[in-house]
Amino acid sequence: MKIENTKAQMRKGVLEFCILSVLKDDDAYVAEILGTLKDAKLLVVEGTIYPLLTRLKNAGLLNYRWEESTSGPPRKYYGLTETGKLFLKELNTTWSELQNAVNIVTSQKTTKK
Amino acid sequence: MNKTVNINLAGIFFHIDEDAYLKLQRYLEAIKRSFTDSQGRSEIISDIEARIAELFNERVQNNKEVIRIKEVDEVISIMGQPEDYLVDDEIFEDEPQTSYKRKTSSAKKLFRDIDNSYIGGVSSGLGHYFGIDAIWVRLAWIILFSAAGTGVLLYILLWVLVPEAKTTAEKIIMTGEPVTISNIEKKIKDGFENVTDVAKNVTDSVGAAAKNVSDSVSNAAKNVDFQKQSSRIKSSSKTFFDTLGEVIMFFFKVFAKFIGVILMFAGSIAIIFLIIALFSLGVFNVIHIPGLDLVDVLNAGNTPIWLVSLFIFFSVGIPLFFLFYLGLKILINNLKSIGNIAKFTLLGLWVISTIGLVVIGIRQASEHTFNERVITKHELNITASDTLKVKMAENDLYMNHRYRSNAFKVLNNENGEKTIYRSDIRIIVKSTNDSLAKIGIEKSADGSNYEKAIERAKNISYDYAFNGNELLLDSYLSTLSENKFSDQEIVVILYLPEGSIVNFSNSTKSFLNYRTYDGNIVSSSDANHYLKIIDGGITCLDCPVKEPYKVDIDVHDNKSDVKIDSTGLEIKDEDVNIKVNGKGVTGEDKSVKVEIDSDGINIKSKDN
Repeated sequence: MKIENTKAQMRKGVLEFCILSVLKDDDAYVAEILGTLKDAKLLVVEGTIYPLLTRLKNAGLLNYRWEESTSGPPRKYYGLTETGKLFLKELNTTWSELQNAVNIVTSQKTTKK
Repeated sequence: MNKTVNINLAGIFFHIDEDAYLKLQRYLEAIKRSFTDSQGRSEIISDIEARIAELFNERVQNNKEVIRIKEVDEVISIMGQPEDYLVDDEIFEDEPQTSYKRKTSSAKKLFRDIDNSYIGGVSSGLGHYFGIDAIWVRLAWIILFSAAGTGVLLYILLWVLVPEAKTTAEKIIMTGEPVTISNIEKKIKDGFENVTDVAKNVTDSVGAAAKNVSDSVSNAAKNVDFQKQSSRIKSSSKTFFDTLGEVIMFFFKVFAKFIGVILMFAGSIAIIFLIIALFSLGVFNVIHIPGLDLVDVLNAGNTPIWLVSLFIFFSVGIPLFFLFYLGLKILINNLKSIGNIAKFTLLGLWVISTIGLVVIGIRQASEHTFNERVITKHELNITASDTLKVKMAENDLYMNHRYRSNAFKVLNNENGEKTIYRSDIRIIVKSTNDSLAKIGIEKSADGSNYEKAIERAKNISYDYAFNGNELLLDSYLSTLSENKFSDQEIVVILYLPEGSIVNFSNSTKSFLNYRTYDGNIVSSSDANHYLKIIDGGITCLDCPVKEPYKVDIDVHDNKSDVKIDSTGLEIKDEDVNIKVNGKGVTGEDKSVKVEIDSDGINIKSKDN
């Protein structure tokens, strides 16, 4: 079992949640989403995001509009749909529960030692 | 100095070094192969291309600057390797599991060509695979369909087992061309052109035709270019040993495919015959097939025939199917798996039906564990001074009356009921001290228990008629077919008083036994004679006396009537003299003399 695989799997699990969270307030295009995620060190390579975005869009959680760019090709601005917002809300609760649970478990382990 | 290529990435124009271009092309191609159409491949790819264009744009100050391999490497390290694009199947189980990590190869594979299909695209797929026009394959199918419909099964199997060419890459593999970006491009363009062609025909054809021409010209130019490059790469990398290895692999593959063909054909033909057999057994109640009565009647355990035939079908057919599947798998390396559920279901069915057959076999065998007999005795009005004649009665229905045999026949009796006829009848004759003769009829049959055996023995019909001094025995026994065949036999025992005379007609010959068998005193060689019964035996009254005829011949006595010596043979009587010697043959009596010698035949009369 490779530590890299486990790490990547952990990250991938929360990636969808994070993408939706980035788009919570404002629409953003891929480079902006990538910037946020890369700053948070959640993403190492950019490629991972594209299939996820397409999946989320196909699932009806995201929609997008085209905007012209002065410095390159036209940009896809992604935003949350109504179902996307509901989805995010649920994920938020799940995440805080999970966070809590993981905190309890990991701190218990350390105290035992 | 480097040659550059102009590319259009997401609508932005770039100059790019040739080596950098090839690297980028391979990269995009690899990413493309990690998705399927269902995942929204084209959309993902265009998004990725847009992002790469953006990244290039950041790195290029003005339009004159060229993208070098360094920039491409940078972009690739930012974007990640193709593996990074793969969405984990374990996490996203609602997605179809279609991650393609297949190596680029030019090996041809069998797919169903759904773009050019009539039914399932099997024919055009096979056409691509064997490099022939689909029309020939379809013709072959038509011949197979009309020839007893055996092709239908094969077609359905191929339809189910051969995957359809879904992605462009698969469509290219199907035709055996190497998967290169140029081929994919060409294929997609072809597809678009086909669609637009139809539209154009309806609307504006003139302008479109011009566009079409220019499209295909540029397309052709591209193809030439790419082919040159790919062949150059190949020739530099190919060594002598690669070629040798390919040759060896080629022969190995040919041999393996040959075995595959044999397995496939053997398997499918056997399955077809089995299905025909099952079908004809299954419907035998509807369509009357004479031989099948025997199967029904032999089935003493009363197991339903359809069950037996189903068991046989599965226990024989399933291994055959796997044989067929193995052959197909050798032939076609990208064959769809029939799935573990199907495999284990088949295995389970096989085990069940094999066990079922064994159980039926044991039941069938147990039908013969008990052999029981029922004996009825009647007196015959034959005393020591009488002569009894025994004959076998003839039967119109059952013609096998002349000879006793273990075989049986199933025929309809006079009431139209199915009846088993058999001529396993033995006649045993014994002497008795009683004044009156007796006849005993012993009926015997097999069964799984005592009651069954007795029941079956009782259900045997066997008759005889006694008129005057003539005993007419049936030459067959019969029982209704619902009693099943279970070795039904009849033994007729005649107890004849000592001193009485019996005559067995020729018709009884094959029903008589060896002498001493079970105390029997009349053998089949005694038929046709008048036999007098004595205690524990018989004397033949009209048998020819077989005592030797004695003649004394003394060759050295000249006075004897017959003289044989070195000169020849002479037979003398008072009146007759016959001589055979070196001179010839002479015969003489009182009135005539005949001489046969070297002069001829001389006949003299002595009357004068």
